[in-house]
Amino acid sequence: MRQSFRMYVLKRLIYVAVTIFLIMSFNFLLFRVMPADVTRILIPKGASNETIERLTEFYGLDDPIPVQYVIFLKQTFTGDFGESISFLKGEEVSSVIVTYTAKTLMLVGIGTALSIFFGVILGRETAWRRGKMFDRVGSSFFLIFYCMPTFLFALLILTMVASFSDWPIKGEYSADYQHLDILGKLADRGQHLLLPVFALVIETIATFSIITRSSLIDVLTEEYMVTAVAKGLRGKDILKHHAMPNAMLPVVTVVAMNVGWILSGAIMIEVIFSYQGLGYLTYRAVLSYDYPLIQVAFMLEAVAVIIANFIADLALFALDPRVKI
Amino acid sequence: MSVQHDKPRNDPLSRIFTESRKERARLLLANMKKIAKQFRKSRGGMLGVCVLSFFVLTAIFAPWISRYDDPNDEEWARVNPDFSPPTLDFLFGTDHFGRDVFSLTWYGARASLIVGVVASLISIILGTVIGLCGGYFGKLPDEILMRLTDFFLVIPWFPLMIVIASLLGRSFTNVIIVIGITSWPSTARIVRAQVLSVKEKGFVERARAVGSGSVRIISRHIMPNVLPLVFANTTLLIANSIFSESFLDFFGLGDPTVVSWGTMLEEAYNWEAFARFAWWQIAAPGACIVALILAFYLIGEALDDVLNPKLRRR
Repeated sequence: MRQSFRMYVLKRLIYVAVTIFLIMSFNFLLFRVMPADVTRILIPKGASNETIERLTEFYGLDDPIPVQYVIFLKQTFTGDFGESISFLKGEEVSSVIVTYTAKTLMLVGIGTALSIFFGVILGRETAWRRGKMFDRVGSSFFLIFYCMPTFLFALLILTMVASFSDWPIKGEYSADYQHLDILGKLADRGQHLLLPVFALVIETIATFSIITRSSLIDVLTEEYMVTAVAKGLRGKDILKHHAMPNAMLPVVTVVAMNVGWILSGAIMIEVIFSYQGLGYLTYRAVLSYDYPLIQVAFMLEAVAVIIANFIADLALFALDPRVKI
Repeated sequence: MSVQHDKPRNDPLSRIFTESRKERARLLLANMKKIAKQFRKSRGGMLGVCVLSFFVLTAIFAPWISRYDDPNDEEWARVNPDFSPPTLDFLFGTDHFGRDVFSLTWYGARASLIVGVVASLISIILGTVIGLCGGYFGKLPDEILMRLTDFFLVIPWFPLMIVIASLLGRSFTNVIIVIGITSWPSTARIVRAQVLSVKEKGFVERARAVGSGSVRIISRHIMPNVLPLVFANTTLLIANSIFSESFLDFFGLGDPTVVSWGTMLEEAYNWEAFARFAWWQIAAPGACIVALILAFYLIGEALDDVLNPKLRRR
């Protein structure tokens, strides 16, 4: 029996909530219980006695582990993540994290949308022309990009652009940003966003088109395709109405599974282009051993992936009448 | 042979574990020949093998190919020009310290191959044990192990690696450990699914009926049917491990004293090789990473075709 959409959403929501809770606990375990010396992780080096006392009190470090866990959960739920210990020394993590997250969301959002669009088209065209020149060249290119680490591709673009043009390669806006008018500001931002998005899109297109291609080829070798041809349908109609709807289902699943992968790509790209999102923040935090920042960045990244998976599950349920869970 | 049973799969590898010792040795040889014969037909697979052999050879003979006995030796660096483009003297140019990129590249192959193979081994052992236990024992153990697997599948893999690596600290062994303990879930899933289908077969039932213990059933009857799948998956895992290694190194989480392609790229980035158009410093390790990952990927695809023909309809 296919259950109602509402029940399905409810079940998935409970699952999501439990997973997020588990991730928080895992986060506690990783950063508070696993390290031999918790103070090294949570308190800045060479801090004054006053700061040490304040932070010990804040995290409840003198209390037993279960009490610390409760304190940790309470703080996590109220968005009180402590303070950065080296990269942005002394700043509240919760106040800096929002701008970084927003920038990553923008990069990943634009990148994913564009690469789904182009990836599906390219995968469809290569599968349709399977074995022909277009397919061979296209598939080889996809495969190379698929095997190329994102940071490497971004680094190559950076080298080319930095050597042969004045196109901005670092950060999100120019030094004279404040003096530009509204249109100028927008253009400036767009200019800075172009390269990171381009790098992300090319890398992700490769993955998506490989998936679409193999999924569509699976469908095209099914017997009802022969029936469609025998009925005298035109090639385009077969592709559009018979093959694509079935081929798209695995694509949706795999795209959802790849959200974590896209995010990883975004992290690398942010580092290369000094784009100040979560990935860049993680990078700088890792380099300066700023564990409170790493902890929050990790949690946000994990939660983002879980939510993306949830959305994809709902999309799949809505698209495919056969799904019953 | 204590148990006479039917041979459910006649394909390579699976019969090796089910015959007497002498027979097994003969079968192994015959099977290897058969696999090799089929594998040789795959053009992509053979290309992968060629590329892989090239890197294995250069990794072994790195000290003889390159001009350094020790890649961290700074003696040469002092003599050479910095950022020299490729010349006859320096085939791949020199880096920011004046080190010969050609020499470093072959030492880098060592790091990538060692990390790739050892980390994958860790992850395969973990994944196989977890998948076998879950699939074979079922019920509560399965429930717990599979929830654990799901949990690790859901957590984004790169951030998790970054977090664990940053907590463990920069060292070569840590990179291997981090990759090994974060990449097992996919293997566990594959193994469990296969165990579940094998478990229901008649020969397992029969083995149990004549009184074989769990250990014997798993090692003699279930493992042989699971291993071909794991084997084909291994090469893809190695490709992934090499990918992760280069990324961790680039992210500043690798061992700075070990020459690897990732650290070469990290240094090229930190010393702004891109702004000087020192493309050789990026292209050399970059091309090697892509070539090696591609080689493992192609071998994996070809092996998959040979070992698990049923999975492929096309």
